[in-house]
Amino acid sequence: MENNILRIEHLTMQFGGVVAVNDLSMEINRGEIVALIGPNGAGKTTAFNCVTGVYEPTNGQILFCGRQIARSSPTGKMRKMYAGNDASAFVGDSVRLSPDHVTKLGIARTFQNIRLFSGMTVFDNVLTAKHLRRKSNFLVSTLHLNYAEEKRMREETWELLKAVHLLDVADEMATSLPYGKQRLLEIARALATKPTLLLLDEPAAGMNPQETEELSAFIRQIKDEFQLSIFIIEHHMNLVMDISDRIYVIDFGRLIASGVPAEIQNNPAVIEAYLGGEDQ
Amino acid sequence: MWSTVFPYLLSGISVGGQYALIAIGYTMVYGILRLINFAHGDVFMVSGIIMVYLCASGIPLYICIPLVLVLTAFIGFLIERAAYKPLRSAPRMSVMISAIGVSYTLQNLVLYITGGLNQIYPTIPWISNSVTILGATTKMVTVITPFLTIFLVFVLVFLINRTKIGMAMRAVSKDFETSQLMGIKINSVISITFVIGSFLAGVGSILYFTNYTTVIQTSGAMPGLKAFVAAVFGGIGSIPGAVVGAFIIGIMENIIKGLDVILFKAGLIAKPLGLATFSDAFTFALLIIILIVKPTGLFGEKTTDKV
Amino acid sequence: MKQFVSDRKSRTPAILSFAVIALFYVLVFIAEQHLPSTSMLFTVLKKGATYALVAVSMNLLNGFTGIFSLGQAGFMLIGAYTYAIFTIPLDQRAAVYQYFQGGAVQFSVPVPVALIFAGLAAAFFAFLIGLPVLRLKSDYLAIATLGFAEIIRAIFQWNQLGPITNGSNMLRMFPNFNDFNIRNDAGEVTVYLSTTIPFVISGVCIALIVLLIHSGYGRAFKAIRDDEIAAEAMGINLAHHKQLAFSISSFFAGVGGAMLAMYQTTVQAKSFTSAMTYEILLIVVIGGVGSVTGSVFSSFLFVACSEWWLRFLDEKQMIGTFEVPLLRNGFRLVVFSVIIMIVVLFFRRGIMGTKELPDLFRRKTKEGIK
Repeated sequence: MENNILRIEHLTMQFGGVVAVNDLSMEINRGEIVALIGPNGAGKTTAFNCVTGVYEPTNGQILFCGRQIARSSPTGKMRKMYAGNDASAFVGDSVRLSPDHVTKLGIARTFQNIRLFSGMTVFDNVLTAKHLRRKSNFLVSTLHLNYAEEKRMREETWELLKAVHLLDVADEMATSLPYGKQRLLEIARALATKPTLLLLDEPAAGMNPQETEELSAFIRQIKDEFQLSIFIIEHHMNLVMDISDRIYVIDFGRLIASGVPAEIQNNPAVIEAYLGGEDQ
Repeated sequence: MWSTVFPYLLSGISVGGQYALIAIGYTMVYGILRLINFAHGDVFMVSGIIMVYLCASGIPLYICIPLVLVLTAFIGFLIERAAYKPLRSAPRMSVMISAIGVSYTLQNLVLYITGGLNQIYPTIPWISNSVTILGATTKMVTVITPFLTIFLVFVLVFLINRTKIGMAMRAVSKDFETSQLMGIKINSVISITFVIGSFLAGVGSILYFTNYTTVIQTSGAMPGLKAFVAAVFGGIGSIPGAVVGAFIIGIMENIIKGLDVILFKAGLIAKPLGLATFSDAFTFALLIIILIVKPTGLFGEKTTDKV
Repeated sequence: MKQFVSDRKSRTPAILSFAVIALFYVLVFIAEQHLPSTSMLFTVLKKGATYALVAVSMNLLNGFTGIFSLGQAGFMLIGAYTYAIFTIPLDQRAAVYQYFQGGAVQFSVPVPVALIFAGLAAAFFAFLIGLPVLRLKSDYLAIATLGFAEIIRAIFQWNQLGPITNGSNMLRMFPNFNDFNIRNDAGEVTVYLSTTIPFVISGVCIALIVLLIHSGYGRAFKAIRDDEIAAEAMGINLAHHKQLAFSISSFFAGVGGAMLAMYQTTVQAKSFTSAMTYEILLIVVIGGVGSVTGSVFSSFLFVACSEWWLRFLDEKQMIGTFEVPLLRNGFRLVVFSVIIMIVVLFFRRGIMGTKELPDLFRRKTKEGIK
């Protein structure tokens, strides 16, 4: 079993003149919870988007369980404009997988600005995410001949909703839920795709201290229960320090520090960048 | 060869100018509201109908013409207030459906009023006169149209680039919400956009119907659609683009109409291939090609979405 | 232990819905046997059933998948022509294709086969068109599909293709709804089926669409409608699913076109204009975008109003010697247009919103239990 789940090598993402991520290298090993923190606009969500295939990196490569899921070097106009480091290292065949392909390989994510399926119930939101693991073809599925598979999907959805304590609102419209529960629903939905690596983008945003503590325990619980590795972006420092095995800190797209929570808390560069007080 | 091709070229340039005047209305409204104003072609048609009825009621021509232009501009303003403004916060599809509904309503209204009979457009002296250019006989309006169109476009571009209201229009088309926050009176800007667009469509209708003298409730559908394609082709939101697109479409459309004749006279085909049927289809083929190759059009700009 | 969600809710509304629909079919059949076949009722029912199918197919694409396509008339055209071309009886072909020496197709197939061909032909062209078009943003997709529909119309009118399409001439003499009636040896009709069979065809097709909507693929379509980016992040391949929705919707639009051909008894390319697409779109909006039931109700309502109930608005009405103003030919359509504008502006959710037939029974059942 591959121990290295995610390896990001010299990732640079440049939009026009703005270098959003600059030469970021990091890795996540099996069973770890790794956090990516930094001031607003530092490039964290952009890094997520490169991993999940939403953006094609300008330079660098990303490996998931040893397999290339993104590889790129500056081409065309970007060759002249490129402002990052070492543009020659990744010349050659480029690789870009679409987001749905990345998810099928085993990486799932939640979104910073909640993106639930607004026209569906809570139950259906999670059930829809089961679709990618289907075995039946279109005809069988349409004619409802896939009774067993549909039953299995619904049972698994039930279990997931039970795990996040959303069973009692299963038939409500997803967007009628309070904010905190919507975030939990997003996590349940991501889990429905049976990922190996779970990307959480500010899961505690908008939560009060109590909810954040519960979330902390919840993340640890699902990590064990579903055998996940977790990559988290977060501003709630309590949560980050509490659950992370390792932390990477970026500012203006560059990595400025990495290490275990204790090291990061005392790192002067990090403190200077933004850790002056705790963000709530 | 020239004498065969030239008449088609000439009509092409002329109708191209007329399409351009309609296309500007589409492109300006889309630039500001991201709305495809399906009813714009029908406003063009209604303008023609108004002229027919005003003249038939005995009002002298020199009053009819400005009156028609004012009324057309007013109708454009009215449609925006009644059918689009209430839906400004609704999903985009709702507004587009409203535009389709307005188009449907205008056509049925005109059908009802005219009884479905072809209306004959009044003859406007001087521009309806015959004139011979480089061996081709045509109406004066065919010659005037391109010049008038270009003149009006220059005036409009000047307005947009050099006046305060023009700056407001440019701001709104770049960023709707921020413009509002900056204190720009959105409603006025939008109304003015519709007024200008409809006014130009009115001018276009005078030129167009002087040439093709029949007006019927469906007269606006094709010119409207083609003008819209012109706007997309040139880059939706770009006025020069819409004008260039319109001239290209007008010219190509007419060349294709005459393609059988031209190819025959050039000795390239033995008998007519019935290619004129494709004169309209060409416009749509052009649309699809541009949407696939460069959806932002000839002069358009790219935008990226944030995830 | 774990059950289907539908088990947790009462099954009664669904059962009631089936009962109501079945009852309606029985009523239609009985009415056909006893009322004069020329009655306006049957015009409305036949045309309504046809439009219902097309409206539901459009709703599948626009309302359930969020793909704003305006190409319906083009696919209906393909379906109508395919059906007609393959079913004109051999002995009639010379007369129909009189300018094209009897035409190139010299065989005919049974009606059910031809209906399937009609759907397949439309779906095939939809697949081809979808390849470039489905990547476009919503507004551009609308106009691109509109453009394709116009191109298709031009191609079918082209005289060079006359041996197949009859060029700009009508196709006729193919089997129509009246041919479904069962006749005895004397040629008299013993069992009327000219309305019931179209209902069955339409019903089966709509049932298939409903099955699709309630399947995993249907949920994927709705996900794409609600949030494309999230859908993709949940493993749904956008291109694949959009293509599927587009092709399936066009398949049924093609079958609907074939039914329209049977209803009209003649087919001519130039009648399949974008105005036809707009009518279907308005029907869908009035019924409720995202409600199959709404599209069906609205189709019948639309056809009833335009063909039957509002007819009186087109005739001069006299009260004593006073002629009521405004009422003359064409007024019906004006009133109609105004009603549509009112619905679009003030009742945006349409008649049913996103509810379906079982939902109408739901409240009653809950009260019954309490």
